[in-house]
Amino acid sequence: MNVQPDLDFIRSLKEAGGDTLKKCYQCATCSVICPLSKDGKPFPRKEMIWAQWGMRDKLVTDPDVFLCHHCGDCTTHCPRGAKPGDVLSSIRAYAYTFYGWPKPLAKLASSAKGLPILIGLPVVVIFIMWLLSGAMRFPTSEEFSQYGYQRFFGTWDFYWYAKNIFFIVLIMVPSLGLALFSSFKGISTMWKTMSEDAGLNKEYRPSVGQFLKDYLWPSLIEIVKHSRFRECTTNTDRVQGHLPLMLAFIGLAIVTTWSLLKNDVLGLIWPSLHGPMAITDPFKILANISAIALLFGVGVLWANRKKAEAEMNTQATFYDWFLIWEITAVGVTGVAAQLLRWAEMPVTGYIVYFLHLVSVMMLFLYLPYTKFAHLMYRTSAYAFEKYRQSVYATNS
Amino acid sequence: MTDEQGTSGAVLVVGGGISGLTAALETAEVGNDVFLVEKGPSFGGRVAQLNQYFPKLCPPSCGLEINFRRVKDNRKIRTYTMTTVKAVKGGPGNYEVTLETEPRYVNSNCTACGDCTAACPDETANDFNFGMNNSKAIYLPHEMAFPQRYVIKKSALSPAGADAIKAACKYDAIDLDMQPEMFTINVASIIWATGWVPYEPTKMENLKFGQSKSIVTNMMIERMAAPSGPTGGKIVRPGDNKAIDSIAFVQCAGSRDENHLEYCSHICCMATFKQMSYVREQYPNAKIYVFYIDLRTPGKYEKFREVRMADANASFIKGKVADIILEADGGVTVVAENALTAEKITQKVDMAVLATGMQPSLGLQDAPAELNLDASGFIISDFDKAMISAGCAKKAADVVTCTQSSTAAALKAIQVSRR
Repeated sequence: MNVQPDLDFIRSLKEAGGDTLKKCYQCATCSVICPLSKDGKPFPRKEMIWAQWGMRDKLVTDPDVFLCHHCGDCTTHCPRGAKPGDVLSSIRAYAYTFYGWPKPLAKLASSAKGLPILIGLPVVVIFIMWLLSGAMRFPTSEEFSQYGYQRFFGTWDFYWYAKNIFFIVLIMVPSLGLALFSSFKGISTMWKTMSEDAGLNKEYRPSVGQFLKDYLWPSLIEIVKHSRFRECTTNTDRVQGHLPLMLAFIGLAIVTTWSLLKNDVLGLIWPSLHGPMAITDPFKILANISAIALLFGVGVLWANRKKAEAEMNTQATFYDWFLIWEITAVGVTGVAAQLLRWAEMPVTGYIVYFLHLVSVMMLFLYLPYTKFAHLMYRTSAYAFEKYRQSVYATNS
Repeated sequence: MTDEQGTSGAVLVVGGGISGLTAALETAEVGNDVFLVEKGPSFGGRVAQLNQYFPKLCPPSCGLEINFRRVKDNRKIRTYTMTTVKAVKGGPGNYEVTLETEPRYVNSNCTACGDCTAACPDETANDFNFGMNNSKAIYLPHEMAFPQRYVIKKSALSPAGADAIKAACKYDAIDLDMQPEMFTINVASIIWATGWVPYEPTKMENLKFGQSKSIVTNMMIERMAAPSGPTGGKIVRPGDNKAIDSIAFVQCAGSRDENHLEYCSHICCMATFKQMSYVREQYPNAKIYVFYIDLRTPGKYEKFREVRMADANASFIKGKVADIILEADGGVTVVAENALTAEKITQKVDMAVLATGMQPSLGLQDAPAELNLDASGFIISDFDKAMISAGCAKKAADVVTCTQSSTAAALKAIQVSRR
C-alpha cells in the first residue's frame, strides 16, 4: 500500500494539541483501557496509527473519533506519553474545519491567528446594524429604567413587530442559519462515507420518523444522562461541569425559542406580548437559573482544563480554550447586562449588552467550526452507531 | 595474599552474581587483589535462581560451579557474604571503603550436614522461591550455595526452635549472639555489579498480580521449572496445582512504560521463548498465547525465536495485555487488542505469566557512594573516579552480555590500579 501522508493534516494535529502522536508505538494499551471502546474493533489505537500515517480521509469519517469523550484514561495508562485522548481531540478539531462551510470561515475559526477577525466580524456587523437602526445613542436614565435594552436598536411606531426584535433576528437568525446549514452539509457528507465504510445496506433508508425515534432520540437520552461520560475514570470530574452547562444551554434554548415565538409570532397577534419579561415570569426565572448553571459549569470546565494542563501536561490549545472563553463571555456579559440594568447604569449597560450580542453571535456563527461543533458531530456519531447496529442497516 | 587493609592495587567488586564473579575472577587472574562482597548469604545472584540459561538451555550450575571453583582456587580473591558497602571515602587509587557484615548466626564450623534443618520446627517464606513455599528458619540458601553454609533468619526463629537446632548441631556451628561487624578496606578502584531485582508486579494495577494465584511472574516460572524448586520442577498453577491446559505470556509487563520501567528489559522476550520450551516439554498439547508489543530477539537469538514460533499450539498476538479479569474457576482472562487485525481479544487461560522486567538494584535504594546514576538507577561508569559498572547494574542485559561487560570492567579497574 502506498500511503501518501497529508502533511497539512499532521501539522494541524500538532497545532490542536496532538503533537504527542509520534510517540505512539502501537502497544494497544489504550484500546483495552478505554471505557467507551466497545468489543469488536476498539479505539483509539487504530486512530493513532492512521494519524501517524496522515490518513486524513479515514479519520474524518471514523465514528470512533467522535465517540471518544476525551476521558483521559488512555492518556493516563499510555506507556509512551503519546496521549491518545489529546490526539483524538485534535483530530476532531481538524474534522470540524474539514467539514466546515464556507471554507475560509472554517479555517479562520481554527486558530488563534483568526481571533482579531473572529471577534472583529460580529463587532462590525452589530455596530453597523446599530448605525443602520438609527438608534446610535445611549439612553437616558428614565428610558433605561423603563425599557432596559428593548430599544437598543431603537424603536418605531409599527407596534406589531418591534424594531429591536427585527434587528436581533436580522443578526442572529442568519448566523445560526449558516451554522446549521454548514453542520447539516458536513454531517451529510460524513454520514454517507461512514455508511459506505461500514458496508451498510444501501437499500435501507430510514424514514425521518424512524430516524428520530430509533436513532436520534435514544442518543439524546444517553447524552443528557451523560451515561458515557460517567464511565470515564481519569476525567470524570468533567461531568460536574459539562452537565450543568448542557442543561443551561437547553434552558437558554427554551427561553430563546419562547422569546422568538412570543415576539415574532404571537406578538403579531397580541401586541401586548412585546416587552421585557418580568423577573417573576417563569421563563425569566428559567433564564436566570440557566445563566447561573452556565457560569458554574464553564467555571468547573475552566478549572479542570487548567488542572489537566498542570498535572497531565495537556497542551493548552486554541481549540479548547476558544469555546471556554466564548461561553464565559456569553454568561458574564449576559448576567452583567442584567445587573447593570438593575443598577441603572445605561452607558456601561449598553456597552456590555453590545458585547453580549457580539459573544452570542460568535457562538452561533462559529458553531460548526469550533469545539462547539461536537454538539452536532458527536450526536450524529451516536445516532450513526445505533443505525449501524440496527437490523435494517446490516441485513443485506 | 593481601592483608585486611588491602594494597594499593586492590579492586573491590560489589555484588556476587554472575557479573561480580566474572569481574572478580578476571581481575584476580591478572594478578590484582580482589575483595568480592555479596549482600546475600551465598554467591550466584539471579542466575542461581534460573532453571536454564538461553539459548543453549543448560542449567546454571554449568556456569556457576566452574566460577565458584575458580574463586575458591584463587588466593587473590577474598569473599564476603551478607556484606554491604556502608561508606566510601578517598579517591581513585586510594579508596577507603567501610563494609558491614550482617550476622549469619552460623559459623565456619558448619559442614552443611542438614541436621539443624531437620530439627528446626520454625518455618518462613522461601524468598529464593519467591514465597511459593516455605523453608525452615535455618536453611541452606540453595542447593549449590557457595559457601555451603547454613544461615538463620533470626526473626523467624522461636526460642524453642533455637534450642532444638543448637541441640541438633554436632559441630557447635550455631552462634545466635553474632553481631554485625564493620571493617574498612583500601582499594584502588570499585566495580559495581549490584545487579537487578524483578520489577514489583503489584505496581501494574491493571494486571492484578497478587489477586489470583494464577497470575505469576516469569521468575516464578523459573523456580517452578527448576528441579530444586518449590514444585520439584513441575509447572502447575500455584494454589490448586492444576495442570496447565492454556497459558498466556504477558510481555512488557512494566517494561517500555514511562509509568514503570521506561526502558526495554532486554531479556523478557527470550525468557518467554525459553519458558515456552519448559511448558511444551511438560504439556505437549497446552495452548500457549504470547501477547507482545515487539518480539526482540536480536542476532543469533532469531533462530531460537523461529523454532518456537513454529509451534502449532502457540499463538502470538501483537498487543499488550492491559487488563486481566479474574475467573471463578481460578483461571484468568487476559484482554488485549490485536493490532494486526484491530480486534479486541479476550483469552481465558489457566495461568498468566507476567514477563516482568529488570530494575537495577540501585533504582530502589540509595547508592552507598557518589555514583553517577541515570534516571532509572543504572550506573554510568566514571573511569576517572575508578567507579565502574558491570552487568545489569550498567544496563538490562542477558548473561552473555553481562560477562562481557564484566570483563571490560575488570580491565578498566586494573588500568586505574596501575596508574
